[in-house]
Amino acid sequence: MKKKIIFCSLLLSLGTVMAQEKKSNISGGFENNSQWYLNDKNLFDENLLPTQHPEQPFRSNSYLFVNYKIKNFTFGVQTEGYYDKALLNLNPKFEKANIATYFAQYKNEKIEATLGYFYEQFGSGLLLRSWEDRALGINNALRGARFVYKPTSYLTFKTLYGQQRTGFEVSEGKIYGFDTDFNVFEALKKENSELSVGFTFVGRNEKTTLVNPNFTNLTYGIGGRFNYSRNSFYASGEYNFKSKDAVVQVKNQIDNNLIKSGSALLFNMGYSKKGFGIDGTFRRLENMGFYSERLANKNAYNDMLMNYVPSLTKQHHYNLANIYVYQSQPGIILNDPSMVKAGEIGGQIDLYYNFKKGTHFGGKYGTKLAVNFSQYHGLSGDYFIYNPQDFQTKFIGFGQKYFSDINIEITKKWNSKWQSVFSYINQYYNKKFITEQYGVINTNILAAEAIYKFGTNKSIRAQGEHLWADADKKNWASLLTEFNLSSKYTVYVTDMYNYGNDEPELRQHYFTVGNAYRLGSTRVSLSYGRQRDGLVCVGGVCRYVPASSGFSFSINTSF
Amino acid sequence: MKKIILTALLLVTTYNWCQTQMPNISLKDLEGKNHTITTDYSEKDKIYIFSFWATWCTPCINELDEMNDVIEDWKKEINVEVVAVATDDTRTQKRIKPLVNGKAWGFNVLLDSNQDLKRSLGIVNIPHTIVVKNNKIVLVQSGYVPGSENELLAKLKAL
Repeated sequence: MKKKIIFCSLLLSLGTVMAQEKKSNISGGFENNSQWYLNDKNLFDENLLPTQHPEQPFRSNSYLFVNYKIKNFTFGVQTEGYYDKALLNLNPKFEKANIATYFAQYKNEKIEATLGYFYEQFGSGLLLRSWEDRALGINNALRGARFVYKPTSYLTFKTLYGQQRTGFEVSEGKIYGFDTDFNVFEALKKENSELSVGFTFVGRNEKTTLVNPNFTNLTYGIGGRFNYSRNSFYASGEYNFKSKDAVVQVKNQIDNNLIKSGSALLFNMGYSKKGFGIDGTFRRLENMGFYSERLANKNAYNDMLMNYVPSLTKQHHYNLANIYVYQSQPGIILNDPSMVKAGEIGGQIDLYYNFKKGTHFGGKYGTKLAVNFSQYHGLSGDYFIYNPQDFQTKFIGFGQKYFSDINIEITKKWNSKWQSVFSYINQYYNKKFITEQYGVINTNILAAEAIYKFGTNKSIRAQGEHLWADADKKNWASLLTEFNLSSKYTVYVTDMYNYGNDEPELRQHYFTVGNAYRLGSTRVSLSYGRQRDGLVCVGGVCRYVPASSGFSFSINTSF
Repeated sequence: MKKIILTALLLVTTYNWCQTQMPNISLKDLEGKNHTITTDYSEKDKIYIFSFWATWCTPCINELDEMNDVIEDWKKEINVEVVAVATDDTRTQKRIKPLVNGKAWGFNVLLDSNQDLKRSLGIVNIPHTIVVKNNKIVLVQSGYVPGSENELLAKLKAL
């Protein structure tokens, strides 16, 4: 006991000294998202069955992280709790409460060394990205060691080794990585322009249990990239190659007879000056599903995902524009002659223009215009369904059309109180190929939004939308009203109505009423309503959620 | 056991509890130049408004549009600078430059592409605003509602 007291008082005095010097610091954050699911006999699914709450109707996800910083050292830990279970359709490996991640890091101007869990991204992430997205239930942090060395401001080397987090465990597969970034023009002291180049290597070693595998345990990826800009013009490109590995066409089935390599090409260029910007992106993906365990390929929870291949389309904020969301297609399927996939090819163009204040279109406060167009196809080539299964793709060749989206948005501020936004969106959605179901849907969406400010800090926002669709669930209408009663408190009500559904029973309302309170870095919200079944997408990565009804509560804060 | 917990609690209270300083992280701007959060935004008595946003976040864009309209007037009253930290990942990152220029914003824009800064500050939702003066975090505001910029100006003047 005596020893303990001495130890503690030593620590205490150390703490006091540190605190006085203000060299040490504790910070962190807490988040809880809870859902109380209810039975809703008036909300039907596609089989016309009423919505029933799961066996455990109350579910919640909680996250608490604390970081302790002292001089050049930082120590951190994140704990997570899922009670009774994780929210519907999150990875079932998220179970009970446990320590989720922890790390110790030393950092000075030139070096950074991390032990434990860390997040990393090489280039644009086409070969390696580990990140956390709680809304999607993704946390694929690597557990191991990472070393970053910056000998000068224009040169960076990174090297890492680790296993990937899956639930509260880590993957069998081991990941090695090396990345370097060199800012050429900074080294040459060239001003007003930039040229940087980068190189990436990623290896994944996973012992296979197959008896006579036609592939090696190690699968590697190499990639090169550049980034150039001069005055108003800029361009960047990246090419990645993934070595030969067994293909997974169907979940949980390693195909020992189809061994293919993969590749990703990304090219972007644009021109922008004050009041005008244009940007174009081209991307081609072939067999770029990359997981820390082979069998994880095509799992529904984005579990053990090693790379980041988001859909490169505009992320709309309108409710109805998020019903038919494109998901990128990096994988392979050689099912039958009418259903073959080996990747995707396509791109998008963005245009922004600001009509100046005082001009005809600009008016007193200016008018802002945003136009976006994206289109994606399958890879064209020769596909062989059996004896043996195989494919050869053309490098540049547009096959089956998957998706297109053309949209225009005009934002106009009328005076210091009123602002309005008008949008038109046209989408083509090949449901058969994107979600491996059936059908093709063409949609047109019109949306208008108005914001009115009054008093010193009050405002009302109203949003109306209509979607015309020629197939699937047909037409929808949506309304949203939001009252901001102060800078801290918001009340809202929203409804999406699928009035055009061919099936009368499915002409349903998806309404929500809710409120949110903010103070400093804390936000608390409570709502009641219905969740439409479909995809919840954040940053181009999606998760399926079933239809549900009930109360939602969330709180988050940082300290 | 109780004593240990008690001591641990005491210990914790003697530390600088709370995020009072920005983390030592460096981010690239739109020209590819590195900026260190702790050292490059440390002019004496100057107020730095770090506004966390993304190209897909409409309230964030509304906030920065509004800020862009009023910042010149604010600068007549206080020594202030807005740093717009774009949390876009590589899906939407290429949209930042044409959007910023297309909207004719006059802010410094930093790219937090794997969200290192956002994560280390424990930010869950954007928009999120952090005000720094003399290397100290003096104000934090989560969310944005139209009209709240007036309130922010009043608070900044009081700093």
